[in-house]
Amino acid sequence: MTPLDRKLLRDVGKMKGQTLAVSLVMACGLAMMIMARSLTHSLETTRDAYYERNHFADVFADLKRAPNDVRAQLQQISGVAAIETRVTGKATLDLPGFTEPANGTVISLPDDRPQQLNLLFLRTGRLPERGSRGEAVISEAFAEAHGFQPGDAIPAILRGQRQVLTVVGVALSPEYVFEAQPGASLPDNKRFGVLWMNERELSAAMDMRGGFNNVIVDLAPGQDAAPVLAELDRILAPYGALGAYGRKDQASAVRLNDELRLLHGLALAFPIAFLSIAAFMSSAVLTRLVRLQREQIAQLKAFGYSSREVGVHYMKFALIIVVIGTVAGSAAGFWLGGNVVHLYHRFFRFPRLPFSPDLSAIAAALATSAAAAFLGVIGAVRQAVRLPPAEAMRPEPPADFRPSLIERLGLAHLAGTSMRMALRNLERRPWQALFTALGIALATGIPVLPGTLKEGINYLLSFQWDVAQRQDVTVGLDEPGSAAALSNLSHLPGVVLAEPFRTVPARLRFGHRSRKLAVSGIPPNALLNRLLDGDAHPIALPPDGLIISAKLAEILGARPGDRIQLEVEEGERPVREAVLAGVFVDYAGVSAFMEIDNLHRLMRESDTVSGAYLSVDRAHWTEFMEKAKQTPRIATLLIKESMRQSFKKTTAESIDMLQTLYFSFAVIVAFGVVYNSARIALSERSRDLATLRVIGFTHREVAGVLISELALLTLAAIPAGLAIGSALATWVVHSASTESVRLPLMLTPHTYATAALIVLTSSTLSFAAVSRRIRQLDLLSVLKAQE
Amino acid sequence: MLSSCVLEESPVLRPSDSAPIAVYSARALTKTYGSGATEVRALTGVDLDLYPGELVVLLGPSGSGKSTLLNNLGGLDVPTSGSLTYRGRELTGASEKELTRFRREAVGFVFQFYNLIPSLTARENVALITEIAFDPIAPEEALGLVELSDRMDHFPSQLSGGQQQRVAIARAIAKRPRVLLCDEPTGALDVRTGITVLQAIERVNIELGTLVVIITHNAVLAEMADRVLIMSDGRIHEERANSIRRPVGDLEW
Repeated sequence: MTPLDRKLLRDVGKMKGQTLAVSLVMACGLAMMIMARSLTHSLETTRDAYYERNHFADVFADLKRAPNDVRAQLQQISGVAAIETRVTGKATLDLPGFTEPANGTVISLPDDRPQQLNLLFLRTGRLPERGSRGEAVISEAFAEAHGFQPGDAIPAILRGQRQVLTVVGVALSPEYVFEAQPGASLPDNKRFGVLWMNERELSAAMDMRGGFNNVIVDLAPGQDAAPVLAELDRILAPYGALGAYGRKDQASAVRLNDELRLLHGLALAFPIAFLSIAAFMSSAVLTRLVRLQREQIAQLKAFGYSSREVGVHYMKFALIIVVIGTVAGSAAGFWLGGNVVHLYHRFFRFPRLPFSPDLSAIAAALATSAAAAFLGVIGAVRQAVRLPPAEAMRPEPPADFRPSLIERLGLAHLAGTSMRMALRNLERRPWQALFTALGIALATGIPVLPGTLKEGINYLLSFQWDVAQRQDVTVGLDEPGSAAALSNLSHLPGVVLAEPFRTVPARLRFGHRSRKLAVSGIPPNALLNRLLDGDAHPIALPPDGLIISAKLAEILGARPGDRIQLEVEEGERPVREAVLAGVFVDYAGVSAFMEIDNLHRLMRESDTVSGAYLSVDRAHWTEFMEKAKQTPRIATLLIKESMRQSFKKTTAESIDMLQTLYFSFAVIVAFGVVYNSARIALSERSRDLATLRVIGFTHREVAGVLISELALLTLAAIPAGLAIGSALATWVVHSASTESVRLPLMLTPHTYATAALIVLTSSTLSFAAVSRRIRQLDLLSVLKAQE
Repeated sequence: MLSSCVLEESPVLRPSDSAPIAVYSARALTKTYGSGATEVRALTGVDLDLYPGELVVLLGPSGSGKSTLLNNLGGLDVPTSGSLTYRGRELTGASEKELTRFRREAVGFVFQFYNLIPSLTARENVALITEIAFDPIAPEEALGLVELSDRMDHFPSQLSGGQQQRVAIARAIAKRPRVLLCDEPTGALDVRTGITVLQAIERVNIELGTLVVIITHNAVLAEMADRVLIMSDGRIHEERANSIRRPVGDLEW
């Protein structure tokens, strides 16, 4: 080791507090970046491999029923590599020891030909045997939620027929990476599962013998989906086609893509902010060091060291900071990523979701932080090596000061002596002040995000499930029924109020944009499922026209008053123009409503209902559930309270983890920035402070002089930080706001107060740490030294 | 007077038996730094009395203990053994808080490197003291005493070395200290500027009656003193009284 390197290590040792502070801030940025990029990488590579290996289909289509010979016709469509026809249906599962019924989607497995698409990944057990009866494979998340194993029995009601299915295997499907009820924003694995059964048996149960009601297609490489979709719709039209769609509209795939998009954003925005602050901090530390070692530099040059050697020596300081930051940041990033990946297991089901660190992220992190640190240091080093040795060995003249702006404005009397010192110091080094303030502002801004998300979720829960949807239960019939069906529902025990709804699949088209969704008809002035505007006021449903989700209006680019084309994809498939009468606010999925009689007229039908919203007397709850389970025509049963609980459970944990993470980052940044600034100020002004001590200032008074400057910056930075945090939270809420889930932007005083408190506490702690240093100041040596 | 009022309030500074006429009384004063192999005995037994209104010059080679003695007198450091009293109060064993108070109210310091606060103007540097002192002179008056009335609103970077040192003197005397301790006050200055600084110190001594102790390498300064103390090896080796003090302006350089 050369003597210079030894000097380097000792100097770093003397500045370990500051070195650590800068490295940690850098590490926070890198940890965030590495975590987000590795998660993205893990999810993307796992997803792609899974889709590929298990032949996930490119195109999907539902229909009422087509005979099996149509399959040959479908295979002729140009651009189709493989096609599979299936039978799918809904089942009500009467789970032992579970009062509320669960819903199942049942999908057929071909038993006379090999399965080509959406291959199952068997976790345990086996597929149903050919010709066997009552055998089913169930989805993993659902199996885990109930502890089902091969050999267990599940009583199920299929098309009104009760039968007991035997679990023979537990499996995963690329079609259900996000394993949730169609239209649900979060998985509720206790109340929803997917079941796979032999085609022959399922066709019989679903009254679909010799036919199919679902088609999945694998496109030839490079084939555009649009012509295939059109051709599928054309061929299937006579068979009650409900409109084909591509993978980008497939519910599970959409959710996964939304998550990845958010991660991509996070991997960029935060690290940039952290790294720029760290770059400035290292620059400030090293500029100070170089200035302190002015004489040493002169001596080194006098001994014959070249400017380049001296420059490299100081660059190594930056390198040490970068290396510590990168090592700590990578370790933290991988550790966090490895933990968060488990959290994803709750939402996304893959055969295996290994955490695969994105090594290119480390390289990028190292390069970014090194570049940032070097840029920060280069100025100071250049200044130091440019000085001729003889000049450098002479003491620096006293720093130049001038009256601060406040004094120049004639307001000098407002500032006491220490405040004047503080103001003049800040003005003399405006960049240092600005970046310190920015660092503190960033620290203030960080905790605003999790706070906003948490408040948003609370608001959403209460808005969606207390204010808008006041029903206790939403019941769906196995197929549309008459007024009598409604009457039956309203006579279930404990039902206080029943409001019917009629749902038809349809495509809404406005200009060149369109969306396929369910259009619901509900009674005007509904009391249970209400449509609310942004201020939570109910919107009256006009006798004519549509009310749609605000998000849907945004997607279609339509405004109230516009005429929207409504293409119903059921029955006689009527196509009609309807006026967009208004938009309502909701936070999950998108939907469209019209007056129920209006929908009946459109469908040329009488009082048909698809289901009903029910208000149930709690006193008769168990009785109601027992009866509902035994009612064959009930195909789905959504219990609001269960949805709320499951939503709370899944999100609360993720948000709490996010909050802990962000709070820690905020503390590190706030403490690091303030501590570092205070240490630099202390080192720059130790002579002043020692002088003050010698002439009789108490320790407290001297600390006050130093701290007033930083306190001024902290107080100025907090409002700016709250603004930055709000902007960041707004951005994240907007990017996280997708068709499947949205979050209201709730910036509350509580969130702001928490953020400010975190920063004030961390700052106070660093003040305390530095104040201890002032106590240890060696008065004599400071005063004797020639600076 | 303010200094007595401070010390009488301080419970730890006990009355001593020695005669209270002297401002300072040191008996068998020692100061040792470190221990074992690194032990440095900076003061090895100093006996000394300093009286009100005196101007004392402390001469001696480097390492003879001059600065250590001055620091002990000024309450910047505490003796290892022996006794040191200020106006009859024991300074040995005083707490950090008591020493701060002692410095704040009784002692003025002038250092070789001025130690002005660069972000404060000349007037504000002096005001720093007058804000916390009990019965101060107005900053303007203090700066007038060192003939800097026309430079009051200049920052240190806008003043010459001699001017900066005179601001430091004004700052030291603004609190009307009983004692002014000067450590190589002209060490960083050329002769001509050095003279103006010494004249300012001399004037303070005569007009305010402040006890002044000056440390210097420059033997010429001996003639401006009432008494000259020559130190070597941590003790006072020789003591000389001048029957006539020569004014600074008459010193031969």
